Amino acid sequence: MRLAYWMYEGTAHHGVGRIANSLQNVHAVFHAPQGDDYVNPIFTMLERTPAFPQMTTSVVSGRDLAMGTVRLPDTLRQIEARLHPQLMIVCASCSTILLQEDLQIMANSANLEAEVIVFDANPYRMQEIISSEELFTLLAKRYAQPQPLTAQPSVNIIGPASLGFHVRPDLICLRRMMQTLGVTINVIAPLGASLDDLRRLPAAWVTIAPYRELGLKAANYLEQTFGTPTLYDAPIGVQPTLRWLRNLVEQLNEVGARAGAPPLRLPPLTAFSLDGISAPSGVPWFARTADMESFSSKRAFVFGDATHTVGMVKFLRDELAMPIAGAGTYLAHHADWVRSQLAGYLPGDLLVTDRFQAVAAQVQELMPDLVCGTQMERHSCRKFDLPCMVIAPPTHIENHLLSYNPMLGFDGADFIADKVYTTATLGLEKHLVDMFGDAGLTYQENGAAAAPSVDEAAPVVSSIATETTLPTATEITWSPGAETLLGKIPFFVRGRVRKKTEKFAAMNGHSIITEDVLQAAKEALGG
Amino acid sequence: MPASTILREDGAYHSFCGLTCVGWLYQKIKDSFFLILGTHTCAHLLQNTLGVMIFARPRFAVALIEEADLSKRQPELRTLIDEILADHHPSVIFLLSSCTPEVMKVEFEGLANSLSTPELPVLFVPASGLDYTFSQAEDSVLQALIPFCPVAPPEDKRVVFLGSVNDAIAADFALEAARLDIPVAGFLPSNRFTELPPVGPGTVLAPVQPYLAKVAQRLQRERGATVLNTLFPFGPDGTRAFWEALAAAFDQSIDLREREAKAWERIADHCQLLRGKTVFFTADNLMELPLARFLRAAGCEIIECSTTYINKRFHGRELEALAGVQVVEQPNFDRQLQDIRRLKPDLVISTLATTNPLVGQGVVAKWSTEFAFMPIHGWAGVATLANMFTKSLRRHAQLDPLDDPVWSAGLMPGAIPLHRPAMMANH
Repeated sequence: MRLAYWMYEGTAHHGVGRIANSLQNVHAVFHAPQGDDYVNPIFTMLERTPAFPQMTTSVVSGRDLAMGTVRLPDTLRQIEARLHPQLMIVCASCSTILLQEDLQIMANSANLEAEVIVFDANPYRMQEIISSEELFTLLAKRYAQPQPLTAQPSVNIIGPASLGFHVRPDLICLRRMMQTLGVTINVIAPLGASLDDLRRLPAAWVTIAPYRELGLKAANYLEQTFGTPTLYDAPIGVQPTLRWLRNLVEQLNEVGARAGAPPLRLPPLTAFSLDGISAPSGVPWFARTADMESFSSKRAFVFGDATHTVGMVKFLRDELAMPIAGAGTYLAHHADWVRSQLAGYLPGDLLVTDRFQAVAAQVQELMPDLVCGTQMERHSCRKFDLPCMVIAPPTHIENHLLSYNPMLGFDGADFIADKVYTTATLGLEKHLVDMFGDAGLTYQENGAAAAPSVDEAAPVVSSIATETTLPTATEITWSPGAETLLGKIPFFVRGRVRKKTEKFAAMNGHSIITEDVLQAAKEALGG
Repeated sequence: MPASTILREDGAYHSFCGLTCVGWLYQKIKDSFFLILGTHTCAHLLQNTLGVMIFARPRFAVALIEEADLSKRQPELRTLIDEILADHHPSVIFLLSSCTPEVMKVEFEGLANSLSTPELPVLFVPASGLDYTFSQAEDSVLQALIPFCPVAPPEDKRVVFLGSVNDAIAADFALEAARLDIPVAGFLPSNRFTELPPVGPGTVLAPVQPYLAKVAQRLQRERGATVLNTLFPFGPDGTRAFWEALAAAFDQSIDLREREAKAWERIADHCQLLRGKTVFFTADNLMELPLARFLRAAGCEIIECSTTYINKRFHGRELEALAGVQVVEQPNFDRQLQDIRRLKPDLVISTLATTNPLVGQGVVAKWSTEFAFMPIHGWAGVATLANMFTKSLRRHAQLDPLDDPVWSAGLMPGAIPLHRPAMMANH
């Protein structure tokens, strides 16, 4: 048993809800206490749904348990009468699964016209990611039918789902690229797919499965059973997108050759830009401008799911030339893949943990200049006064914006580069101010000026030392004089100097850092 | 006078479970820690519903039941308690039950006792979603505090305000009481566990929140305290009734008619907008009865006032004031949806889960959750309270009509798009 303050992944039944809410005419039914309905507002609030999400809690109350009342058949009948779904997916919750009831028998007794699947989402063995992946694979296997290929070159896009990270803009971007290539889209699933669409999956020439977390196994199944070749890479960054496009054209042409179709050719790259006449991405030139010179000394730490952690590390190092301070993932079951993808990219071991305190401790230890993480790292970074951008779920309502902000493709590269640029502390201007005074501006010590995305009040000076949920916390305070002296150190190394000085003080038994201690630390540690 | 008939249906499910009360109580009782014995589900619930509060330093956590723990008879929490003690130095730990340990039949009372020390009491709080909803669990927390309220001698005739309110509201109530010469013993809960008010036979309990029926009953039974039987202090009508009844309990006869009239006058603009509007409450946090009563007094027509639980004695005066209104306990949401479509209310007060979808159907809907976190009590809260209702009406009236379905096209992943893109229509 352990103390949990924050979870990176949602629960198994949340994963079921995400799949059901993605598909047309499918409804999830949770055989669960009323409290488990909290997943419902996650959809209505974060996705701001203008209709009711496709999931219902069939309430189990303490009184029902005492009286032996079972409401599930009634709930199923009510849903059928109101919504006429083609398929209902029933699952238990963390508490009702312990009752060891036979949900299949309960569901059968409802005598429904709709199909009913009882999905064994054991919340003690799986969380959101595995649950949604297993359920979607099961549905692909259940519905996909052998059939001839489409006449025109076509792809399936597998993996985007309700509440997925930036999946809507990703889809816009993928659609645009397919349009530019002259490739039709056979099926997008699960987002927006009907059961008939799932039946038509094997008609595609090639499957695109860009997300490691969802769609991988279904794509695997289509490949093995129907011979549909799959592009598993995520086109994150300019060069990966180029390689991905070339691979796609090659795979389509292999399929086309067997059918005697004329080969596809990659159009001029300007065709992929929004206006059709410009560079498809601004990143290659942007990265070479003098403005970006200061970024070559900014160290980045990346933490998230598998897809975005790998994509971001490669993008930051290969395309923005930023040094990588470290990386990690909370998805233990994808850790081997992440490790193999990032071989040669990381200065140390990949951090694999689902404890946010461990991630925060790592960030505090490394004091990078940019953190790319989840909502939780964004929170931790506020305490450390470090700029942080969110690159993976879990998200906050602030990550669900209206404008076009894809992570994939050329457009995604532009979006990510802009985000990095506006998140990390800017170059010359701030240097001048910090080196030679405040230029008439009053900068808050530890303040928001260092991180444009931070909108909350700056933490108090000693917050690092007193944040007791963090393992390396020590009780060290700074004298006002030492604090003033620290303020004279350029901002871009100030955090690191603070951290190192506190370590030095702890090692040498000083509980208060005075000007003398700071000076001694600077000398001992080489400034 | 007989109250309105109460219809009881088969269950409100679009609300939160009792654990959510942690969200305000850990901030209210500043030397407390809330430990939930629960699962990943409880932790996921808390971070999603209390997401904003993760920015503070949370004094709540989940003792996580994982697969290996399912076979154990009693959970071993000692080391976790030590960890909490070292990190947070609380004066009290509330141990909250949740659905899974309830099903496992964990003996909570014994567990809490075995963990308790004189220096650090660990108090059991029943809060599981199998039995408790949203604000209702505050009732459980306050009951757990009863043994720690000093016993007041019979001659100690003072008021204890019952229910957690923020410091500004508490100051207002203390000031108003002083103005009326009503002696105040304190608030339950107090800001600190170590400063709980004394309660005895001379105590008058004045409930300021409508979800605390059981703790009021117990203090009456166990300590001989008197529970004020009046309206809750929301709106000019409720606030006047509250203070007049409280003064009467101290043998004073006061007439606040003028004060009430002035308060109505201050919100005359709001009332003008509210007059004749039809309002529907779908049930969420047990504040529905007094809110509906205020709206009715402000000139609205209440089509339905649903709430999760009703206590006929504790809510008696509110029910009287709602005579003639359809009052439903544990409503069926499907039936409510049909009624909303049929009756087309001007304003629906609904839960966090249902508000956006209702707005999507062309209904003006307002989060009920917000009322639990706003300073709407007493004379000072009157304008805030009225504004919460009129803000929704004004805002929606001010915006262009959403009369073309194109503006929500593609937003529901599982809904069939208006027009499938040409490139997909080929197949």
